Amino acid sequence: MKKNETIAVGLMIAATILTVIGIFAIEKFRLAKFYTLNLTARAPENGNWYPQEFTLPYGQKVNLRIRNIETVTHGFAIPDLKVAVSEIKAGQVKSVQFTPDKKGTFPFMCTVWCSENHMQMRGKITVE
Amino acid sequence: MSKDKLFGLIDLDWRFEITKFKPIRALFKSRWFPLLLIIANLFIFVVILVAGLMGGYSAGNYNFGIMLVWILWWVMLMLVLVPVFSRFWCTMCPFPVFSDWFQRGKLFGVRLGKLEGLNLRWPKKFRNMWIMNIGFLVTTFFSGFFTVRPLATFILLGGIILLAFIIGLVFEKRNFCLYVCPVSGFQGLYSQFAASEIRRIDPEVCAKHPVKTCFTGNEDGYGCPWMLTPFNFEKNTYCGMCLECFKSCPHDNMAFNLRPPGVDLLIDTKKSPKGLDEAYKAFIMLGIAIMFYTAFQGPWGGFKDMVRATTAKGYFTYVAMHASFNLLILPGIFLFFSWLSKLFSKSQEVTLKRIFINFAYTLIPLGLGIWIGFSLGIIMPNGSYLLHIISDPFAWGWNIFGTANLPWTPVFTGLMGYLQGVTLIVFYLFSLNYGNRIAKQLFPDPDQARRAWMPILTFLTLITFIFLWLFLG
Repeated sequence: MKKNETIAVGLMIAATILTVIGIFAIEKFRLAKFYTLNLTARAPENGNWYPQEFTLPYGQKVNLRIRNIETVTHGFAIPDLKVAVSEIKAGQVKSVQFTPDKKGTFPFMCTVWCSENHMQMRGKITVE
Repeated sequence: MSKDKLFGLIDLDWRFEITKFKPIRALFKSRWFPLLLIIANLFIFVVILVAGLMGGYSAGNYNFGIMLVWILWWVMLMLVLVPVFSRFWCTMCPFPVFSDWFQRGKLFGVRLGKLEGLNLRWPKKFRNMWIMNIGFLVTTFFSGFFTVRPLATFILLGGIILLAFIIGLVFEKRNFCLYVCPVSGFQGLYSQFAASEIRRIDPEVCAKHPVKTCFTGNEDGYGCPWMLTPFNFEKNTYCGMCLECFKSCPHDNMAFNLRPPGVDLLIDTKKSPKGLDEAYKAFIMLGIAIMFYTAFQGPWGGFKDMVRATTAKGYFTYVAMHASFNLLILPGIFLFFSWLSKLFSKSQEVTLKRIFINFAYTLIPLGLGIWIGFSLGIIMPNGSYLLHIISDPFAWGWNIFGTANLPWTPVFTGLMGYLQGVTLIVFYLFSLNYGNRIAKQLFPDPDQARRAWMPILTFLTLITFIFLWLFLG
């Protein structure tokens, strides 16, 4: 009986604490391979891109994770770096990997007509 | 054997005992069951909570928490678990596991004697469904958030688990499940229609067993955590199917039976009387189904905006409408039909209150059918999201099972309205069948019963037509 109790408590710990630790450990291990940046997509009237300006390292592989938290579709492009995600549907998260091979400051923007203020859904990316 | 047959086909006394098969009885008697199910479920709920927290305020269609809780779990509850297996969800529910662990000091073994905690008795005036009725109704005020915002689902589920634990610290056994849990209330109500039950096998065996170990417990199992008396309980409403009575009965006199759906609707005894709290639960569930359908699956965008709190004024108008519709308008309309029923019956003996309460149970099959129809409207268009979220539960770009990039694919949505309509009609027929029997129980005189039944039949038919119109558009 005592052995069974120990097994039950072990399973309980595995289902709770170890699960939470495991989830974050896997993600940390996965992200260690890239320079990862999280970008939130929102129409300008709801806050616009967040962050709207950011810096990426030159020549290093980047994982850009774009989270559309809204109920409309957005798109994403950095034309100068030839990076694009054609469609990020409502609630979807899209990851794009690329290596910035130009230094400077470049605009990025939404590529799907998402609201009346779509044209202002823009930001700046600096590669250095 | 009874000659009373459901639709002239199935004897109402028919039972098929699943636990007569030795492996199933052995499983039910094992202390690992349902513990392993609960732990597995807890693991899933931990993932749901993490996904809810990580998903935050984003739209929930690609969120594991939202999709699993509101698409899979809710639909499974309404489509399969409750109608077929009664309260089998409660068997594997992880919400009270922490309070059970605290009270018992053990997860696997049986603690003999007094449990930990204050062990207070639940106040007598709250030993009914009213807290669950109001709690569930209030929860639905926020449905526009829970079903679309992951963080709201995290707060709801986290809050329920925390509340279950706190109540377990203060009150004895499973009072949270019995009288507070919002999921428990509607399961209790609709489990009266379920096609399965847990009951004692032979009353003589129980009568000759002076120590009622199913109630008091022994070294093999706890006394009923739901504080029922398994040796003589009569309906599913408050049986959480925890299976402790299978373990604690030394004579193997408990059974898990399949049965004709709905036989509990005819129970109205001194021990298990029909009550106003359960009647109101039936109204609330029906009212919520009407509100939910119009808000989430209907074509009225303005109403959707109110539910989703686009403006504070719109939202509070919705809350006022929703509350008054469920607590006053719908029961009020039914009261009018009950009054007509009394008037037509010309009976002086049967009170209006009794007519109102007893006939409210006819809404149970119909209400369940409406919820099944509503659930089809959730799973058929949105089920494909499940394939996405099991591969990428936290929207971090994972692809565990290779299904993360599958596009949203509605399934057989062209047939949806017809399926909903057929389901509705089948459950309407169950309502009519049981309603007719309830009328005969209420009014022993057949003519009085027939006259009294007519207004209620009209009410049920009107509700069915309204939903047929909503489903088939």
